[in-house]
Amino acid sequence: MRANFIFSEVWIGLRRNLTMTIAVIVTVAIAMALLGVGLMINAQVSRMKDFWSGRVEISTFLCKKDDPFAACKGSTGVDETQKQEIEAAIRALPQVENVTFENSATAYENFRTAYADNPVFVAAVQAEDMPESYQVKLKNPDEYVAVIDQLKAIKGVSNVVNHQAILDRFFGLLERLRWAALVVAGILVVSAFLLIGNTVRLSAYNRRRETGIMRLVGASNLYIQLPFVMEGVIAGLLGGVVAAVLLIISKVFLFESMAAYLAANSQLEWNDVAGVITLTMIIGVVICVIASFFTLRRYLKV
Amino acid sequence: MIHFDNVTKVYANQNRPALDHVSVDVDKGEFVFLVGPSGSGKSTFLRLVLKEERPNSGAIHVAGKDLARLSNFKVPHLRRRIGCVFQDFRLLPNKNVYENVAFALEVIGKPRRFIRKVVPEVIELVGLEGKAHRMPDELSGGEQQRVAMARAFVNRPMILLADEPTGNIDPATSIGIMKVLDRINRTGTTVVMATHDAAIVDSMRKRVVELEDGKIVRDQSRGVYGQAY
Repeated sequence: MRANFIFSEVWIGLRRNLTMTIAVIVTVAIAMALLGVGLMINAQVSRMKDFWSGRVEISTFLCKKDDPFAACKGSTGVDETQKQEIEAAIRALPQVENVTFENSATAYENFRTAYADNPVFVAAVQAEDMPESYQVKLKNPDEYVAVIDQLKAIKGVSNVVNHQAILDRFFGLLERLRWAALVVAGILVVSAFLLIGNTVRLSAYNRRRETGIMRLVGASNLYIQLPFVMEGVIAGLLGGVVAAVLLIISKVFLFESMAAYLAANSQLEWNDVAGVITLTMIIGVVICVIASFFTLRRYLKV
Repeated sequence: MIHFDNVTKVYANQNRPALDHVSVDVDKGEFVFLVGPSGSGKSTFLRLVLKEERPNSGAIHVAGKDLARLSNFKVPHLRRRIGCVFQDFRLLPNKNVYENVAFALEVIGKPRRFIRKVVPEVIELVGLEGKAHRMPDELSGGEQQRVAMARAFVNRPMILLADEPTGNIDPATSIGIMKVLDRINRTGTTVVMATHDAAIVDSMRKRVVELEDGKIVRDQSRGVYGQAY
């Protein structure tokens, strides 16, 4: 087997079909980039789920004096005995794992740190404006729907905010994005397949004299087919490289800017990106090899 | 060397057989003319020897191998022992004489040192010394056919198949082509040549096998083209 012979054949083939080769590279690149984005969203979601599943709580706010919430009409604020009754009522619920009390001062501290970069907002709020609350942790965060109704029914509770519901909406959005990316990637993979098939067919037609003579003088099938398969592999690899660049760009500009809104350590890591790039490269090349072989079986009979 | 036993070949979508119960033996080192009108089955015979086609019935042995039992995987190895020359030369227009001949060795993975040694020898054998760097379109038809013969012979095949090699060449040049074929034959290579050219067949006085409608109608050693009774 003479490598330089094969490579010169490959180079000639790629150059003769330059437009088709570019079409293949672009299609493979976009297909693999979308597939990669889908996988990256997947990794991001699972990281976020890991991060949040231990932290999600239901905030059960208590009525203050002159509280505008409808449930607190006429209330003069919740006193100590009522607090104990409310806590007992919450603990009585079977889905509840743990309850902690958060007083106005702690709430104000949390508020100040959360909005540290917005001093005007912080200055406008006083510690006594912050409602007291019970932070309720559930055994299974997904069972929140029934619990919320029961919590709202407790007398002295102004409002119930469930972090899980907010997260679910966010995860739902990511999930839809992922599916959209994967469906478009799937369609593009099919068109990449057909394009590669066509490119190889054109290439085989362009070189029918050479392949005819090769068959005649007894070149092995591998020797005849390898240049064509290599053409596909190289186009697939180049497409994979372009896809890798697109994925790195999307990591920097999409996922990192998104991470600003998320908890710090739920971010997508670079080694996740590296894994995704490796996987998409392999898939891109494998698609090209399979498409080349299928076409050659039809157009390069021995 | 080539052994046909009761071979019948019918192409798909055709009811008349291209070869009809043909039995023939070609020994090692023989020179055989295959004559007959167009469509009499000469090309089919050659294609069957190369295993480019499969017979519908009958057995074919080439170089001691039963072609029916030869797996597709081994067909290239069979073809390395058979050289082929055609009416239309089939040279690569973007390669010069040397490269065209060397191509046949490159694609079967021969080492470069070997190629550099044998290609000039064969170019000399076919009488093209000094023209190794010409492109095919700078050569006459006769010279192009010599390149094709060099390419067919460079791997020292046991059999050389020639399908009307003088079909595109004027009679004076054809004599030169036949001399090269004769020279190749004298090295011990079996030559089977399909032709229409009566003058050549008559002048060579070799074995003649005549086909008509897929049947052998004459098999004569030291024969001539026309009926000689």
